[in-house]
Amino acid sequence: MKPFSYVVPKDLAEAAAAAAQPDTVLKGAGVDLVDRMKERLQTPAQVVNLLPLRRELAGVARTADGAVHIGALTTLTELEQHAELQDPALQALRQSAGMTATPHVRNRATVAGNILQFTRCWYVRSEAFHCLHGGRGPTCLAVTGENRYHAVLGWLDCVRVHPSNLAPPLLALGAEYTTTLAGKERRRALAELFPAEPRAQNPEHTLLPGEIVTALHVPKQPAGARSAYCESREKQTFDWATTACAVRVVLQGGKIAAADLVLGAVGPNPLPRPKAAAALVGEAPSAALFQKAAELAFAGANPLAHNDYKLTVGKAIVRQALDEATR
Amino acid sequence: MTVPPDPGVSRRSFLKGSAVAGVATTGIAAVAPAAPAGPTTFGPGEHEIALQINGKERQVKVETRTTLLDALRDGLDLTGAKKVCDRGACGGCTVLVDGATVTSCMTLAMDAVGAEITTIESLSDGDAVHPLVQNFVHCDAMQCGFCTPGMVMSSLSCLQRRGKPTVAQMQQDLSGNLCRCGTYGRVMQAIQRTAQGGGK
Ligand SMILES: Cc1cc2nc3c(=O)[nH]c(=O)nc-3n(C[C@H](O)[C@H](O)[C@H](O)COP(=O)(O)OP(=O)(O)OC[C@H]3O[C@@H](n4cnc5c(N)ncnc54)[C@H](O)[C@@H]3O)c2cc1C
Ligand code: SF4
Ligand code: FES
Ligand code: FES
Repeated sequence: MKPFSYVVPKDLAEAAAAAAQPDTVLKGAGVDLVDRMKERLQTPAQVVNLLPLRRELAGVARTADGAVHIGALTTLTELEQHAELQDPALQALRQSAGMTATPHVRNRATVAGNILQFTRCWYVRSEAFHCLHGGRGPTCLAVTGENRYHAVLGWLDCVRVHPSNLAPPLLALGAEYTTTLAGKERRRALAELFPAEPRAQNPEHTLLPGEIVTALHVPKQPAGARSAYCESREKQTFDWATTACAVRVVLQGGKIAAADLVLGAVGPNPLPRPKAAAALVGEAPSAALFQKAAELAFAGANPLAHNDYKLTVGKAIVRQALDEATR
Repeated sequence: MTVPPDPGVSRRSFLKGSAVAGVATTGIAAVAPAAPAGPTTFGPGEHEIALQINGKERQVKVETRTTLLDALRDGLDLTGAKKVCDRGACGGCTVLVDGATVTSCMTLAMDAVGAEITTIESLSDGDAVHPLVQNFVHCDAMQCGFCTPGMVMSSLSCLQRRGKPTVAQMQQDLSGNLCRCGTYGRVMQAIQRTAQGGGK
């Protein structure tokens, strides 16, 4: 790691002021950041440690309107185990937190850091390669190279996948996020955190320099809401997903009254699949229906030389998630 | 907003650490203003911090980029925790921070200021060892031994949190520790034997 100054803020205002300085990065637990700094992919002059703000920015609480407020610095272990999330409507969130990485990583990793982690593309994460991402090189090396963990859907000139476990269930549950920048607080739909055009030149998130994510908000779920998260991976633990699916359904009188379906690990953004979700609405759960939704979820897929397995496996994961949510 | 939250960083230890740094080391870039004007900044050079390790306060010289693992091994000669992957991907460096297992290779030493750190060195005192360690020996729960310090710490955390863990709970709690020699079964036997009061 290149040497850096380490800033310990007393409050959010101090953190925000420090974050606004040039060549400065924010640090949650640092599980992703330290990894990139070790590889010298990130060599900031200054690191602002957000962990001292845990008292104001960590924790899970139910608000008066029945929504769930999740502090940005809440750990994945806290998210997995929190009493407020022991609700079938929020099952997907617990499942995805509990499947992330290892217990040791989850004990430290923060919710915001998980959503904002850098892509796992092995070309851009290695000092030895210079690809199109961030303008480091002339072309995408994965599109014609080793691409078994790369995108099959929604990619443009960079076939990276979005690695976050938490993003798909949060999107499926209609979550919002709050940020602070230059003393202004803003609350937006989570989808706005991801670039509309996930090109190599665009960062994986839309935060402005110095903008701090302070919280996630999951709105009150309607009666009969259930959710589930399933993923495929090569190892039972330690591993990022190869495909993932979060679903939220509202069951009324044995039928699906509303549905949301979001894919993870198959495209440069976490990908809501509204056509697949719409096909579920008004129908009673059945294997045939889930098969139809799975096909629609992967409609328009454009796999690479080494990753068409993601279509077969990903569809099975969609069916499994739907099965778990409606059981 | 001056009291640090759990299990984050203690301002008291930080200021203490930087005050020591002010007199004890050279090439310090740490600035610890007395008045609450602006945040405290450390580095990029070397400075001294106080870490709470195995119930004792220890002073150690670090840079801001020093990991907790390097501070333990290189700064304090606590070489039980092993550096294997150095990327959070094996568990060889597992220690407890405020009772929870963490990979010390992915934790900056600065992040551990103010927290209670427990390393495998806390489980022996001369020839006297903790029952869990005795049971690792009794159950032959190691082969090459490289993963063993991390396995022991995850096992300790499992026992501390669960008392008498089930097989599923043990599997869950050991799922952040890779063993190339495949000792998992024996490790679980050692945990169970400890839970049953063996090895004392
Ligand atoms: C072995 C291993 C396996 C893993 N497997 C998985 C997996 O299966 N699924 C998965 O999703 N992840 C996985 N991970 C990744 C891990 O979950 C992330 O590295 C972790 O969640 C990052 O959180 P953090 O708090 O450490 O973030 P940091 O490393 O501190 O930050 C990550 C990024 O977010 C920015 N940031 C952090 N907090 C804020 C904030 N509040 N506001 C603005 N910007 C912020 C930082 O500047 C940085 O760019 C794995 C990691 C390891 C080591
Ligand atoms: S997928 Fe993106 S990050 Fe990976 S090599 Fe191609 S351009 Fe670079
Ligand atoms: S050395 Fe820390 S996890 Fe491998
Ligand atoms: S005993 Fe050899 S790696 Fe576990």
